[in-house]
Amino acid sequence: MMTAQKEKVRIRHPGRAHDMNKSAPLASAAVIRRTVLLVYGFTFIGTLAWMGAIFLAPYLKSRSSGAAASFLYAIFSPVCHQIPSRSFYFHGFPLAVCGRCLGIYAGFLAGLVIYPFARGFSKIALPSGRLFILLSLPVGADFVGGLLGLWASPNWIRFSTGFLWGVILPFYFMTGVSELLLRRPARKSNDEPAPPG
Amino acid sequence: MNNQRPEYLVPALIAGAVAGVLSGIPFVNCLCCLWIIGGAVLATSLLAKNTPGPLTAGDGAIVGALTGIVAAVIDSLMSIPLRAVNEAFVRRFMESLARFSDQMPAGWQDWVQRGTAGGFSLAGFFLGLFVSAAIFAILGVLGGVIGVSLFGRKKIPAPPPPSPQGPTDATL
Repeated sequence: MMTAQKEKVRIRHPGRAHDMNKSAPLASAAVIRRTVLLVYGFTFIGTLAWMGAIFLAPYLKSRSSGAAASFLYAIFSPVCHQIPSRSFYFHGFPLAVCGRCLGIYAGFLAGLVIYPFARGFSKIALPSGRLFILLSLPVGADFVGGLLGLWASPNWIRFSTGFLWGVILPFYFMTGVSELLLRRPARKSNDEPAPPG
Repeated sequence: MNNQRPEYLVPALIAGAVAGVLSGIPFVNCLCCLWIIGGAVLATSLLAKNTPGPLTAGDGAIVGALTGIVAAVIDSLMSIPLRAVNEAFVRRFMESLARFSDQMPAGWQDWVQRGTAGGFSLAGFFLGLFVSAAIFAILGVLGGVIGVSLFGRKKIPAPPPPSPQGPTDATL
């Protein structure tokens, strides 16, 4: 005899409802909630550690812990030019990333704080492409203007435009990673033979 | 129902190569992490072109992560020949900057010297590659999912209307 059937939830994509593709994952509401919470927890801790490391590098440098500071600066070097004149300073030394990158990461952290209130943990959905383009315009304009020599933005402008852009990023990251994790059990359960009767 | 998985590898190789080259060239790399995110968006657009149905956020995450890893490999490989070019350039740069050293912000010498510090070591190369691959993969996931929201939401074409005469021999 079948027990109470679990509520199956189809993972939603943004905007108007539309059909998902062939691997449309079906997962119970409880599984979705658990997965999103797990991803949220790890992302939040990871982002805090990332932000901490950005400030730790100049702090260690000021404490004459040269090797540790150099290691931290080196970790961030593939993702940022680290030009001192475009960076904020902490304890007399430039942060491990430039002002724009700091804004993006700070915005990402702010977006993570907003995430539970805006989206909750029971559903995963991408933000609309239009909103993304809208929030990308300031950072894009600031970058292009600087590149063409039209203006040289002060660091707080770079930080602000980066921050604005960074706020929306966790909504993408959370959705992508959560759906990726939900795929395997969903596929497994889809492969199970249907019960008789 | 079409159960075929999207082909992730080719878009990831193409877009990863583009992003890796751009993030490895001195001065062009001033766009920071955005080259990797942009590369992953490009990979998703290529994937969307080659996939008949709409993409999921998970598809974007996979192709984005692969793009980030490919970009990290290309970026690290490019850094080997560029090291010598960088050293010569930075030496000239430091000589000219030395004239204005009293006007420069604190820490500029460290930043400039980072471009020339140390010779090539295999262990350092692989450690750098590993760190870059991990960071670029995360950024790639982000770009891939953004790409899905921009390019991956295609409508599934409506199935053809059923024939009023029923199935023919050819369809059986």
